[in-house]
Amino acid sequence: MRRAFVLFGLLMMGLVALPASRAPAADLEKLRVSIIPIGDVAPLFAAIQNGYFRELGLEIDTTPSAGGAAGIPGLIGGSFDIVYGNVVSALLAVQQGLDVKVIAAGTNLADPAMDATPILVRSDSGIKSGKDLEGKSIAVNTRNNVIWLYARAWVKATGGDPERVTFKEVPFPQMEDALRQQRVDAAFMVPPFSIVASQKGGLTKVGHPYSDVQPGVDVGQYIATGKLVAARPETIRKFVTGLRRGVEWYNANLASDELFKLISGYTRVDVALLKMAPLPALPLRSDMSQVKKTMDLMIENKLLPAPLDLQKIIDPLAL
Amino acid sequence: MTAADIPDDASIGRTRTGTVRLRPGSRAPGVLLIVALLLLWELSSRAGWIVSAYWPPVSHILAAAVAQLAGGEILVSLAATLRRAAIGYVAASVAGIALGIVLARNRALRCGLLPLIEIVRPMPTPAIIPPLILFLGVDDALKIFIVALASFFPIFTTTFVGVASIDDTLIQTARTFRISSTRMLYGVVLPATLPAIAAGLRTATSLCLVVAVLSEMIAGSSGVGYYLVEMQYAMRPDLMYAAVFYLALTGYALNRGFLALEARLIPWMGKT
Repeated sequence: MRRAFVLFGLLMMGLVALPASRAPAADLEKLRVSIIPIGDVAPLFAAIQNGYFRELGLEIDTTPSAGGAAGIPGLIGGSFDIVYGNVVSALLAVQQGLDVKVIAAGTNLADPAMDATPILVRSDSGIKSGKDLEGKSIAVNTRNNVIWLYARAWVKATGGDPERVTFKEVPFPQMEDALRQQRVDAAFMVPPFSIVASQKGGLTKVGHPYSDVQPGVDVGQYIATGKLVAARPETIRKFVTGLRRGVEWYNANLASDELFKLISGYTRVDVALLKMAPLPALPLRSDMSQVKKTMDLMIENKLLPAPLDLQKIIDPLAL
Repeated sequence: MTAADIPDDASIGRTRTGTVRLRPGSRAPGVLLIVALLLLWELSSRAGWIVSAYWPPVSHILAAAVAQLAGGEILVSLAATLRRAAIGYVAASVAGIALGIVLARNRALRCGLLPLIEIVRPMPTPAIIPPLILFLGVDDALKIFIVALASFFPIFTTTFVGVASIDDTLIQTARTFRISSTRMLYGVVLPATLPAIAAGLRTATSLCLVVAVLSEMIAGSSGVGYYLVEMQYAMRPDLMYAAVFYLALTGYALNRGFLALEARLIPWMGKT
């Protein structure tokens, strides 16, 4: 009965969805990419806007997922061909036996001066290090993810014991409120929220976990299933080629109005707000040694029981 | 009964129960309370009692609401959400009513299916979304399924109870005339159960909209739910609250529309 019910639902959907679907351009190969609407994926949008993918015979269909939660399940479920995610999610997926591969670099924090992802505390709290945070709480957007991992690593690197710090899940947009209302004692924030929060006063940056713990860390990655990489290697190669041209354009136009307008277009953040944060240059290639360092941190924090074979996870295309 | 159930139009004359007569203007205290709360909101934001990027003055929200409507974007989002809600709702209605009647009248099926339904019913929808993404993807199939699943239970339950509690005299009387089982269904069971079914359908009406928005907040890229999250991450709380306002308005309109339809189609509703 339940199945009849599902079938009926699907049938209804088909009836309504049919007239809405458009015929894709016949000569372009379509790729569905799940993204998080943040500055990191600007090169992808630059490559789309500048026609780099089209020239290679690809049509890129981006699906934003604001929290990023749907990314890897959607990839495995076949809703997406490629997902923009982070290195920790990718390694966790592999650990769980899922067939995913990193096909291209997304971000890395090569220049600490450009790191706009601080740990903020209330200026009057007297907290200066991870040691001071023992017995207190720190806001992370999700537990067991990349933010959580580097927050823990930072606490340890600055003399504290991560086990004695409470990590509370707070969505990025609500972190500033939680901090000011004293619901948490510190928050690991990302732009534009970190920029807006630190501009208003009353909050102080005590550290930058990514650059303090692991300068040059590869945070973002483009991920595909191993099945797709094996079945359509030429398509994936074209995607990486188009994306790299997008990265080159992005790096050459870091301070341009055109770039800010592009980012504002898909993030919906005001251009004026975007201009407050420096845009870091983005990498053309993944750095295996950086991924290895992240993997070691994951083992240390019990996210992984044992090392994984990174040669199999990072596709040669990404290097 | 919620406030929205009570007709405020003097021309209606009497409520369905025929006992209470409402004068026009009886709603004034309720409206005043809403206005007072909104003023308090405005004041608390302007006077700096609450300092947060996510607590804009109401006047900013209203301005954003006007701009949003003029841009047409909110209508596109609302249409996407309503489409999903409607398809899920229709699927749930058909399945809920059919199963409710069949299970109430057939002992074997009842014994077979009721435990499954009772096990699935208390599951919180958000908790089962990750596994559902694996099977249904992140697009319409997922969202419509979630809407249908959530809407199914109130409809099924009220129908089931409605059929089971039909006055036995009605059934016995019909049997005396030896009418066919089809006629029994259409001539006796359905009319007697319609008020109960309508109650379930109405609960599901507000539920389907809520669940459609919720599903869009978790996955996907269109609809009001996605818009709300997007605006939160874009630091545009004025647009976010404006969208919430339109959502509330839509829910209210749906409920009113349902009541009007119900009064027209089931005039015996609320009478025994």
